[in-house]
Amino acid sequence: MEALLAFVVAWKPYVLAAAALVVAPVIGALLMGLDRILTARIQGRVGPPLLQPFYDIVKLLGKAPIALNRVQVVYACLHLALMMLVVVLLAMGQDLMMILFVHAFSNIALILGGMSVRSPYSRIGSQRQIMQMLAYEPILVLMVVGIYLIFGTFQISRIPAGGVPLLVQLPLVFLAFQMVISIKLQKSPFDVSTSHHAHQEIVKGITIEYSGPYLAVIEITHLYETCVLFTVVALFWAPNPLVGLLLAALSFLFQIVLDNACARLTTMWMLRYMWTLPMVLAVSNIAWLYLRNGASLG
Amino acid sequence: MPTLLIVAPILFGILAWLSPTAPLRTLWVVLGGALTCAAGILTALRGAAEFTLPRWSDNLAYGIEIAVIAVIFAISFRLKDWRIGLLAVAQMVMAALERLLPHAALPPAATFVIDPLSIILILVISVVGSVIVLYAIGYMRKHEEHAPDTAAPTGRFFLFLVGFLGAMNGLVMANDLRWLSIFWEITTICSFMLIGHDGTDEARANARRALLINMFGGTAMILGGLLCAVQGNGNSLAHMMSAQALIPIALLCLAAFTKSAQMPFQSWLLGAMVAPTPVSALLHSATMVKAGSYLVLRLAPAYQGTRLSEIIAVAGAFTFAATSALAISQSNAKKVLAYSTIANLGLIVACAGLNTPLAYSAAVLILAFHAVSKGLLFLCVGAIEQKIGSRDIEDMGGIMYRMPITAMIALLGMVAMLAPPFGMLLSKWMAIEAAIFSPLVLFLIVMGSAMTVLFWAKWIGRIQTVSYHERYDAERLPASMFAALIILGAGVILTGILAFPLIPMTEGLVRGAYAGLALPEASFKALRTAGTFAAWPIFLFVGLGLLGAFFAVRRFSAAVIRPPYLCGENVGGTDVSYSFRSLMDKPDTAWSKSLYLKPVFSEDKITFWANLIACMIILTMFGMIGAL
Amino acid sequence: MAKLARSPWVVHYNCNSCNGCDIEFLACLTPMYDAERFGVLHVGNPKHADVLVVTGSVNHRNARVLRNVYDQMPDPKVVVALGVCTSSGGIFAGCYNVFGGVEKVLPVDVFVPGCPPRPEAILDGIVKAAARLGAKIRGETPPPVEKPKAAFQPAAVPEEKK
Repeated sequence: MEALLAFVVAWKPYVLAAAALVVAPVIGALLMGLDRILTARIQGRVGPPLLQPFYDIVKLLGKAPIALNRVQVVYACLHLALMMLVVVLLAMGQDLMMILFVHAFSNIALILGGMSVRSPYSRIGSQRQIMQMLAYEPILVLMVVGIYLIFGTFQISRIPAGGVPLLVQLPLVFLAFQMVISIKLQKSPFDVSTSHHAHQEIVKGITIEYSGPYLAVIEITHLYETCVLFTVVALFWAPNPLVGLLLAALSFLFQIVLDNACARLTTMWMLRYMWTLPMVLAVSNIAWLYLRNGASLG
Repeated sequence: MPTLLIVAPILFGILAWLSPTAPLRTLWVVLGGALTCAAGILTALRGAAEFTLPRWSDNLAYGIEIAVIAVIFAISFRLKDWRIGLLAVAQMVMAALERLLPHAALPPAATFVIDPLSIILILVISVVGSVIVLYAIGYMRKHEEHAPDTAAPTGRFFLFLVGFLGAMNGLVMANDLRWLSIFWEITTICSFMLIGHDGTDEARANARRALLINMFGGTAMILGGLLCAVQGNGNSLAHMMSAQALIPIALLCLAAFTKSAQMPFQSWLLGAMVAPTPVSALLHSATMVKAGSYLVLRLAPAYQGTRLSEIIAVAGAFTFAATSALAISQSNAKKVLAYSTIANLGLIVACAGLNTPLAYSAAVLILAFHAVSKGLLFLCVGAIEQKIGSRDIEDMGGIMYRMPITAMIALLGMVAMLAPPFGMLLSKWMAIEAAIFSPLVLFLIVMGSAMTVLFWAKWIGRIQTVSYHERYDAERLPASMFAALIILGAGVILTGILAFPLIPMTEGLVRGAYAGLALPEASFKALRTAGTFAAWPIFLFVGLGLLGAFFAVRRFSAAVIRPPYLCGENVGGTDVSYSFRSLMDKPDTAWSKSLYLKPVFSEDKITFWANLIACMIILTMFGMIGAL
Repeated sequence: MAKLARSPWVVHYNCNSCNGCDIEFLACLTPMYDAERFGVLHVGNPKHADVLVVTGSVNHRNARVLRNVYDQMPDPKVVVALGVCTSSGGIFAGCYNVFGGVEKVLPVDVFVPGCPPRPEAILDGIVKAAARLGAKIRGETPPPVEKPKAAFQPAAVPEEKK
């Protein structure tokens, strides 16, 4: 027992990373199950069991593989591998900016996979996903910049515990980040690239040509990503984890309500919207931090 | 050795020009390339050095300068372009003035200096440049077959192509301003000749534009030298930098902007793509544009902490963002590459302007990585263009099957431009970290990076679009083109793997560059911590992903393959088919064009305003240092 | 319901239907009947689907499309035929262009009789199909299905019209 404890202490970042790799998809799946139940309740339905995402993935893994070519499978695997890398780097307390880049490339792998097949729906979905990235990526970078301006480092492990919660210093960035989460979870009104609801328009967009185990790989990646996003939300109130969890829960509820209250809108609307309101929110928050730090804006 | 670096390419270029038969010419070109490459590597291994030419060489330099300007004047006469002629006359007058005016007595400076920055440039020029020359041998043999009748002889082409390397090597070693401007003008002449090689109306017009814009830059440079001498600050870069003569430095930076095609001077580089592809590759990766970014970087410590530095950072970052946006709307592969080059040069200039050790290191790394990747990409596009007869990105679907090796290498080059663990991404990361206290620059870099991803992803998506095939057969390429692709491809992989350890290695270079300034030790610390980033998880997980993919596709057979979903209307039933039954049962191909966002990002919407803003930034630059 | 088949994802193809069955099928997804209780997702494309729900009779023009959609579904998969048209051709049986029921083209797993079938019946059919899907996942061969006996037969043509 003591030997085990000593091992854990000595290899703390690695143990944390390994644990995160196992726990993250479970949390993600539970969140997704909860999401589907809550959505059903909002619509006056009963909804599926909480463990439905697990059932789905187990079923998908059991299906016979079919594909269009080899390339798309390579990209599905990279999509998952890079998202796992994001989880590992977060758990090891690595550089936030690098984590952001790796996260972006996980998404680019999915986009490239969708583009590698000669399927019109898949291509359209991919292009819309690129537009989504163009819409939210600058806001994520600004968020990370804001964190640097507060703590003077990108390295998560050097961020001091305690102190003033991030939410107090980055309230507007937090609001903009909520919109980013909405895009990332493919929720209305931003679910343009692949949607549970758009059967007729783009069928299933970017993931249409993935099926069976390959679709399962993408779904698992989505679970990791869901978990990562709400972990980041919780970190906005890091000094008290309970408050952080409450914050994440509120954000989660907000996403579901927004999804059910909105219709899907067009891609260009999304880009225009994201580059105006959330962008202005994020930029003004960052500008305020610069001014507070006493630097000039020039 | 430095003499060899300059003289060997020029000499072998002349030999190639004079040789009567093609095999003999090939021999001279190969020898010249090999010798330049070897000399470059040897020089790099020897390390820093200084060379001072004897007194009489001043007269020699003066003579050469006048001769070079006279050549340009003659060209302007033939082109009947009074603007170029006027600039040539102005240059000649200023050169003469500088010669006649009394000089302040300063300790003599070395004529040529080889320091770590020069060594990196020499390596890029000699190695990447020689590989491109090697590629050109095979390319030009094919090009001759379908070149227009107006094209110049191939011998002349190789004279300027190989000679270019010599001029560039001289440029990055020159410390004496006169030698600097000599080599500067020679590169201008070389690029003019190479761009106009095909002799078509378009080629002539674009060559003339390149000459005009670069002559403008050259005039700014000579004016800078003259002012420096008049102010009594000597006639070498070292003197100018130690005197911190801001106005001459700003003029030199302006010259650098024209050479590295920064906005609003970008049009010449976009026009330069009418030339045969090896020329584009050379101009974009190893030579020419790198001269500009080199000069800005070389001068960076001299304007550290001044307003000039801030403005240069803004100008570079603005070019980066604006050209990245412009690249989105382009479907011409070479034009996308051209805009991407300008964007990356903008990033280098922005880093030079940020002027911290971290930014300086990022700039040097971008310069090196960009040279290798972009050279490779141009070579690939050239090979693809010769095969499919088009340089439109939309036509490049399916080349993965038709020319798998070239397509894979092109893919490698593109991935190296944006993805981890390759160096470009790493340097961009350092640039963002360095820009963190300059909000405007930071914002422009962030927006530019997002748009960069957009146009690369589109292109990669198009290139790798492929139907299922049981097996792929390697295409046939001329041996020299093939060798060049393989060498640069290997270079990209190598720099990708070594990118992380390379960062701390630049510390010596950066310390050397900022030796004259008392920078706080903490600013160097950032450089060291950037290098300690745990790189192994990245390699581990990318490796795991590829391994998983390998096992997944290992047992792929035709039985696994299904046609795409086309609402069940696929032609040919269960066969793998990409057509669907359209109206009246006619087969039709499902096709979706890439996203170009023309209504937002098209050239005619953006270029004018972006040029206007860029002009204002440059005017502000001179206004701020009190030159206006 | 078999444990393995708790997530039957459905793709719906309208062969030649009068839209009666389709309306009733869509009613299954509404809050009133809530097919998602059983893990049912209406995915809208064959590549993701486990269950192919067919409505209407099969004719020369759409047999090919039906076959394509079926072939693009990954194994194991099941077919649910809704309504009387899918078992015999219904009121269209005997038309010059109509083959008849779906089983002429595909192996059907569950027939849901009715014109149109009630949503409860459709849900029941999908749940039964999911059970057969579970069996197929385990590698068993489910027993063959019988066609509904009370299939509609076209009336004899009256004497005076001959």
